Amino acid sequence: MNDYEPKAILLAVFARLRKDLALGVGELLAAYRAVEGGFGAEGQEALREVARLLWCHSLDVADDFDQAFNDVLAQTARPTPAPQPVMPEPPVDKPPPLPPPVQPVNIPPPVAPSQPVAEPAPLPVKTPMRPVRDIQGPELRAYWPLSRRSMVYAWRYLRRTVKEGPRDVLNIAATVEQTARIGFFLCPVYDRRLKNKNHLVLLIDQGGSMVPFHRFTRDLVETACDGQKSQIQQVDLAYFHNVPPDHVFCDPHLMLPTPLGNLLALIDIDTSVLIVSDAGAARGHRSNERIRATAEFLALVKRRATQLAWLNPMPQARWAGTSAQFIAHLAPMFQMDNEGFGNAVAALRGQSPGRRG
Amino acid sequence: MTESTGFILSQECRPPSGRHPDAPAKEKPEPYVAADALVTAVNLAIYLRRPLLLEGEAGCGKSRLARHVAHQLGLPLYEWPVRSTSRAQEGLYTYDSILRLHDVHLRQANKPGLFSAKSAPLGRTAKGRNPENPMDYVNFGALGKAFRLAECPAVVLIDEIDKADIDFPNDLLTVLEQPWQFEIPEADDGMPRIVAKHPPIVIITSNKEKGNLPEPFLRRCVYFYIEFPSDKDRLKAIINAHYMTEQSGKFGDGHTSPSAALTEAACERFLAVRNKGDLHKKPGTSEFLDWLEAMRGFCDLPGLAETLRSDEAKLPYPELLFKIHDDWWRYAAKL
Repeated sequence: MNDYEPKAILLAVFARLRKDLALGVGELLAAYRAVEGGFGAEGQEALREVARLLWCHSLDVADDFDQAFNDVLAQTARPTPAPQPVMPEPPVDKPPPLPPPVQPVNIPPPVAPSQPVAEPAPLPVKTPMRPVRDIQGPELRAYWPLSRRSMVYAWRYLRRTVKEGPRDVLNIAATVEQTARIGFFLCPVYDRRLKNKNHLVLLIDQGGSMVPFHRFTRDLVETACDGQKSQIQQVDLAYFHNVPPDHVFCDPHLMLPTPLGNLLALIDIDTSVLIVSDAGAARGHRSNERIRATAEFLALVKRRATQLAWLNPMPQARWAGTSAQFIAHLAPMFQMDNEGFGNAVAALRGQSPGRRG
Repeated sequence: MTESTGFILSQECRPPSGRHPDAPAKEKPEPYVAADALVTAVNLAIYLRRPLLLEGEAGCGKSRLARHVAHQLGLPLYEWPVRSTSRAQEGLYTYDSILRLHDVHLRQANKPGLFSAKSAPLGRTAKGRNPENPMDYVNFGALGKAFRLAECPAVVLIDEIDKADIDFPNDLLTVLEQPWQFEIPEADDGMPRIVAKHPPIVIITSNKEKGNLPEPFLRRCVYFYIEFPSDKDRLKAIINAHYMTEQSGKFGDGHTSPSAALTEAACERFLAVRNKGDLHKKPGTSEFLDWLEAMRGFCDLPGLAETLRSDEAKLPYPELLFKIHDDWWRYAAKL
């Protein structure tokens, strides 16, 4: 294959996969450097191997990668597509071609002008057929708004560190500083231990329209409750269905009810309360009953907690016209994606969340 | 066994004497059979100076690859086993300020006049540390040692990176790329900045025990997934490699290779059990080798090869292969 152009293939594959695989220009340049260093020179399969090593970072994306690579190969292998069916562009937004400059007589006029001169096209014009398939990978992409890792990262911002307990942590810097100041070693300097005193109440809508999002609410609960990861000292969980009436549930299967008052009693001024619910946006209708009940519940919570946020797994674009649109006025409501969750955690810390734009 | 090293190191990176004195001894090769694709991955990582991230089932030779590469290229190997409390800083260096304080204190205590000691130079301690020189109190970690190597690059194994805290890979990022340097703020004079003359060959293993690694980190890595050698010939090649090189290795006594019949039967039976797909935890290559060694040397049962061939017969030494109760129940206990 004498017209084997590894860089062109790499560029085409990169353009396709850049977003899905979260690649940067550095990765394209690295692949170029590899090609310049003689990797992938044997042929397309070797090139595929190199690109896969550099760009695929888990087994899951290997299929997507192969698909994209095959598509690109199919395009390049195709005999150069019959030069676009002679289909002059409709001269709608083009200025009329300039009259050819006056040429000296001794130069013969160019036989074939390299720039196709737009000519009045015979009408009607049909849209030019594109020889390239325009499908961008499998259509059935999973809805994956928030990864566990980003949850853990965001939870960590929910810190409220307080120094407390006996002085039992050696402060080396202060000890050295004190020794230098006095001129001899007197005694070590001890500090109190830093403790994270944050308290989170997690209220989760369960069942019904929330079923598709159970995966995410489960991840939220798991990441929040793993104290080592999230560094939240105390997490209280409660589940409800649609609206918390006079009682909530202790388990995700809504089998163990407990009075709402018990939960509210846990909330004090330093508590952060996070509600996770679609607020009616998933089914897409508006129910006055639901709005009223939610408003009553929120009023109860707000009486005790100042740090309150609502996480909605439905995208913000789908709130309009549903109960969610109204409830969003009663509590700071955020869409469940990286930015939204980050803002929700900021609200839980008592900061006014950054608004977009 | 593919005898050729296959790993390519550019001329200027080779150690001057062919082998670095700290490299794994030439007489003790690491028994390892690297697939061609894996060799390409290693070469690509060396060429592009990017870390090689290895994933794969437990016991399929992720960590051993680093030893193999170091041995074949004659480069020193620095291992860094990551634990749940590991911090990225430890791979570079740790600074022992307590020891320094202690040394100063000891010196002063030994002088006759407590307060007159200040003007006199302190001198060295018995172990050769000079409290006036902060670099004497810097202990370099695996990466730090590799950065300081002047004549050739080193192989650094960062083992089980996913065990550490989630920030760990991100903290490593800035060190593992251009301009390959880090600073030692504690040593305000002397040599505060360590610049790697030869960027190390970094091999990282992970088994996704705690979820994915962060994307910016993944993006910079060359990624390879080590598969279990699922055809019989490769399994046999691995067995050969192990018994050829293990005169002084793992199993001690100068032993002989298992008979061809036993090897053949063991490979077949093992792959059959493994590929059946009803195991919760599939045994890896290392478990297979242990199992084979047990059958060869621990207690040679008569007619073992024939026993292995029949599907109904009980598997010998199941305790080496099945580590989960369900698997045990299915294959070892019921018969």
